[in-house]
Amino acid sequence: MDLVGYLLPHLLNGIALGLLFALIALGFMLIIGVMEVINLAHGSLFALGAYAALALLAGEGGPRPELLGWFLQLPNVLRYALALVLAPLAVAVVGMGLEICLRRTYGKDPLYGLLLTFGAALVIEELIRLAWGPSERFLPVPAAITGGVAIGELIYSKYRFFASGFSILMIGLLWLFLEKTRYGALIKAGAHDSEMVRALGVNLPRLRTLVFGFGTALAAIAGIVMAPIWGIRPHVGVDAVVPAFVVIVLGGVGSFWGAVLAGLMVGMVVGLTGAFATDWSLISMYILLILVVTFRGRGLFGKKSILEA
Amino acid sequence: MHGARLVTPSMLVAFAIFGTLPFWITEIGLYRYLGVEILIWCIYALGFNLLMGYAGLPSFGHGAYFGIGAYACGLAQFELWANLWFCLAAGVVAAAVFGAVVAAFISHRRGIYFALMTIAFGQMFFFIASKWTSVTNGEDGLLNIARLPVELGFWNYPIRGNADFYWFVFACFVVCVVALWRLVNSPFGKVVQAIKQNEARMAFLGYRVALYKAVAFILSCAVAGFAGALFAMAQGGAFVQVMNLQWSGVIVLMVLIGGGFVSFWGPVLGTVLYFVARDLLGAYTEAWLLWFGLMFMAVVMFKPEGLAGIGQDALRKWRGLPRAPAAGWAWLRR
Repeated sequence: MDLVGYLLPHLLNGIALGLLFALIALGFMLIIGVMEVINLAHGSLFALGAYAALALLAGEGGPRPELLGWFLQLPNVLRYALALVLAPLAVAVVGMGLEICLRRTYGKDPLYGLLLTFGAALVIEELIRLAWGPSERFLPVPAAITGGVAIGELIYSKYRFFASGFSILMIGLLWLFLEKTRYGALIKAGAHDSEMVRALGVNLPRLRTLVFGFGTALAAIAGIVMAPIWGIRPHVGVDAVVPAFVVIVLGGVGSFWGAVLAGLMVGMVVGLTGAFATDWSLISMYILLILVVTFRGRGLFGKKSILEA
Repeated sequence: MHGARLVTPSMLVAFAIFGTLPFWITEIGLYRYLGVEILIWCIYALGFNLLMGYAGLPSFGHGAYFGIGAYACGLAQFELWANLWFCLAAGVVAAAVFGAVVAAFISHRRGIYFALMTIAFGQMFFFIASKWTSVTNGEDGLLNIARLPVELGFWNYPIRGNADFYWFVFACFVVCVVALWRLVNSPFGKVVQAIKQNEARMAFLGYRVALYKAVAFILSCAVAGFAGALFAMAQGGAFVQVMNLQWSGVIVLMVLIGGGFVSFWGPVLGTVLYFVARDLLGAYTEAWLLWFGLMFMAVVMFKPEGLAGIGQDALRKWRGLPRAPAAGWAWLRR
């Protein structure tokens, strides 16, 4: 087989991965923007989203599986669509609870927020372990998006096409939301100068709670979409949150398209190194990060921000 | 200020407690090996606090240097020279060298950018250690690392058993405590603390801020490597788990819960609390980390000065002094 034919599926895998990384990173960045908090629990909430979807789709685990009986009677596709909405909503509620805890750290060093969310990550991961057990799970998806699709000679997983398309849709919707709606404008204003937003009569605590919930819901959506690709483990969050850091620092804090571009770059680098040395594929993104940040201290499109004081 | 003293009263208390520990630890239902673990992690935590508490630079990838120390100790023993001092030195030097390379990239960064970069480097070392199986033996770990005898030229002392090994680790602990206490009260330590307070002002005063931060980072890595080398001998192996993000976070957690920001002894208190909680809570529930995590969250929310902060408040109240102001973290506020 020629090189292009060999590399193409790896490149496609990388793009699918990169789009999902970008989605996780964007939720993460909304939280950094408005709260100035690095949400280390983002990965755990990503995992929680996948587990919540598992409870809704397979009726497995969860605190009270018997309550979901009626839901499990619904057709598969409808249930999957509903899970993509309901599970992130449930995770958003958890995220908003976390934000209320975080309120005590505002106005202090941003490190306290980081530490609090680290504790929260530990707690959420242990709760997942208690509710669903430590073993690896697989999220069932509707038959319509499983199996392969043939493009010329290449047979490629339909699900990865779905995952990429869905991520592009979400990123597009998020951009429209931030650029074209009043709430989007408020979020951007809050990221620029939250005190001024408060002075203009906006309910800043409520805005912060909602943005935190929104950001964690994005993490949960990414978690659900990623689950059939990665499998679900209680500590799967680390595999998601660390690439999200890399994407943010690489793309530049506060830059929407920087995060998308960096996500794609990271995904493709991981995918292409995976073609040659599977074991080493996850290291390549750190090398990319170190190379870029050595020459561009604020990432590709970063501006000066609170994070470097 | 007791800054200039070589030995302080609190040091004597700590040495008295740890020095008599083997005689009473089994009486309270715990076991000797726990003492070894606590002391090694105390060394690690004290070295980490040099960076986090004194220099104000949080590293979320410090487990990497602990792990590098452990692997270096094992590899030195197998490949080069099975001598205690040589293996410990190998751990220290290896961790310091890797720390120096990382410091070259990150020492001019501040605040959370610094934290994010330490995570990136820490994860990179973790992945390398877990994938480079020909050197580190991957997930299985580097096994059969022996506790080598203490050779002092005129006198050799075997430290195979936990009781003997405890005394050796205790001696290391004493040396580290005195050395770190001298260091944080030295002119170097004062400069580092001043950089934490106001980095820009120190730069204007002509101090080479990035260099001081790099040296603090490298020293902290070296201490982590030393603790890692001891831990490799204690466990009889070097394992990759200590290098992952969670274990790197646990050291942050110990130092903060103990009160590393306000006290030299904070890391020791935090480490003791962590291990005792692990054994006591762990006896009742599988999910002890859940409760420990909740406790940690409560500390960050309500008393970020940690156990040492609570103790200092109590002492002030007892002496009739006003409460201390909340720990000043102004250097990062705009």
